[in-house]
Amino acid sequence: MKTYKIVVLGDFGVGKTSLIRRYVLDEFSDEYRATLGVHLYKHADTLAGEDIEISLVVWDIEGAPLPSGQTKRYIVGASGAVIVGDMTRDDPFSAMWSAADMFEEALPGRPLCLALNKSDVAVIESPETVTRMKRRYDCNAFETSALTGDCVTPMFHDLARSILARGL
Amino acid sequence: MTELHSDLVLDALGLLAVRLDDDLIVREVCGTFLTVPTGTDMREFMPALYGLEDALHAPDAYLTMPFVQIGNDRDEPVALTVRRDPDSGVLWLFLRDVREESEMQRQLVQNHNSLSLAQAELVKARNAAQKADQAKTAFLANVSHELRTPLHVIIGGSSILSKPRDTPLDPQEVTDYALDMHESGVLLLQLVDDLIDLSRSETGNLILYEERCDLTEITRAITALCEDIPEARHTTLQCEVPPHPVWMVADARRIKQILLNLISNAIKAVANLNGGEVTVTLDPALPSLTVADNGPGMSEEEIAIARQPFGQPRAGVRSKGTGLGLSIVDRLVTLHGGEIVFDTAPGKGLAATITFDPERSRNDSKPSQNVS
Ligand SMILES: Nc1nc2c(ncn2[C@@H]2O[C@H](COP(=O)(O)OP(=O)(O)OP(=O)(O)O)[C@@H](O)[C@H]2O)c(=O)[nH]1
Ligand SMILES: [Mg+2]
Repeated sequence: MKTYKIVVLGDFGVGKTSLIRRYVLDEFSDEYRATLGVHLYKHADTLAGEDIEISLVVWDIEGAPLPSGQTKRYIVGASGAVIVGDMTRDDPFSAMWSAADMFEEALPGRPLCLALNKSDVAVIESPETVTRMKRRYDCNAFETSALTGDCVTPMFHDLARSILARGL
Repeated sequence: MTELHSDLVLDALGLLAVRLDDDLIVREVCGTFLTVPTGTDMREFMPALYGLEDALHAPDAYLTMPFVQIGNDRDEPVALTVRRDPDSGVLWLFLRDVREESEMQRQLVQNHNSLSLAQAELVKARNAAQKADQAKTAFLANVSHELRTPLHVIIGGSSILSKPRDTPLDPQEVTDYALDMHESGVLLLQLVDDLIDLSRSETGNLILYEERCDLTEITRAITALCEDIPEARHTTLQCEVPPHPVWMVADARRIKQILLNLISNAIKAVANLNGGEVTVTLDPALPSLTVADNGPGMSEEEIAIARQPFGQPRAGVRSKGTGLGLSIVDRLVTLHGGEIVFDTAPGKGLAATITFDPERSRNDSKPSQNVS
């Protein structure tokens, strides 16, 4: 079975580590512990409803408002990306645009999906922007909460399905 | 160097060197700080290599990552370097123990990020405070304006009435001045009452005195009272209530206030119409109360403005009243755990429906003293 590399990108503190740990370990912590470099999680899963087994290495990448040269090296060979934004921020989207643009430019044709995170404490103030991003990157967006677990697994599964559908 | 010697040197540096074949299988290991058996798939040991197979086939393959942590617990980080020796074509992978430097680095990143996040929070809070401040200033300007108009009427009228004159005013004129002054006084009192309600609800001091009350009775009484509003002269006012009491735990005085506000708004909306109609309906099911009119209706934006204190949805069209009615209704309904929905469109009339929490009309629900 092929093991797919999935990278999780976004500004710092938006909840990348929390989303991954919710998905892989089903746990959550209030405490912010910044990620240094990369943290890899190997995870085997079954896609709900289809009985398809998948094997993933999820890359938790140190956050930044703008992707650095090192970020570009980290994403080499990725089959898909989760772009995370913190919906409690004044402007959650500019860091998401930058990360998504960088990923698409480096790996054209590879799917991504958008995690509109901290949905337990925030409402999306600019749904038009979400619609524009979805159209621009031909992707799905999920109002996730690492705290409650809302939409977290469905989001990773959606990305895995897109990867399989594109025969990557 | 003998094999033993190279192991010693590599261990002293906290380094592991692994020779890989083109399928990324471990062929040779130097150093002992980690145990990697030969013959294993290096990707299983270092999952960072998944996805990099193609990149590593390049004759000049070279990649390096300063901090890599693996696994589901707080594993120790390593620095990873993979390079193909351009002369021999052999693929080498190096792992270095970076436990000490990584904790220091991570603290730096943590401090930097936490500070940035705190700063962003502060900016956000400052912007919110500025917005609230602007809203307060606008509110104060509105209050002063609303106070000034009736005060002018009272001061102007009383000064005319009190001045000695050569030809005395005729009795009708005196009555007119007195009536105007009285009306302005009533409006001022209403304005002050509304301001007190509003400020209490903002500071959480608006207290509901709850009891079991009969919505049928309240709806009937308030509709009847509204028939006496002067603007209602040419309006058909209908009251549709069930033929039995509808009990609910609520502050009866506040429910009356809500209804009075909504019905008098509706009456004002149709006052200039031929065939204006206002219907007040009590649906015992939830229960819910609806006040509907066949007036000009409002757009979504107009409704949003009307719900603001002093909001005048129609530019240039000032309605009579304090301009605070709807924002107070909003708060009173919320305090009762209810919800208000406006069904309206320009030219389509307006129906305001308040639904209450069904818990409140259960037989065994108990009145409580509720502070906002
Ligand atoms: N309420 C709420 N808090 C969240 C959620 N996700 C993350 N957090 C909190 O946000 C903070 C940052 O979360 P992390 O997962 O560490 O963020 P990160 O994106 O990994 O940050 P970096 O590693 O610095 O890039 C932590 O205090 C989390 O507890 C969420 O869905 N809801
Ligand atoms: Mg992190």
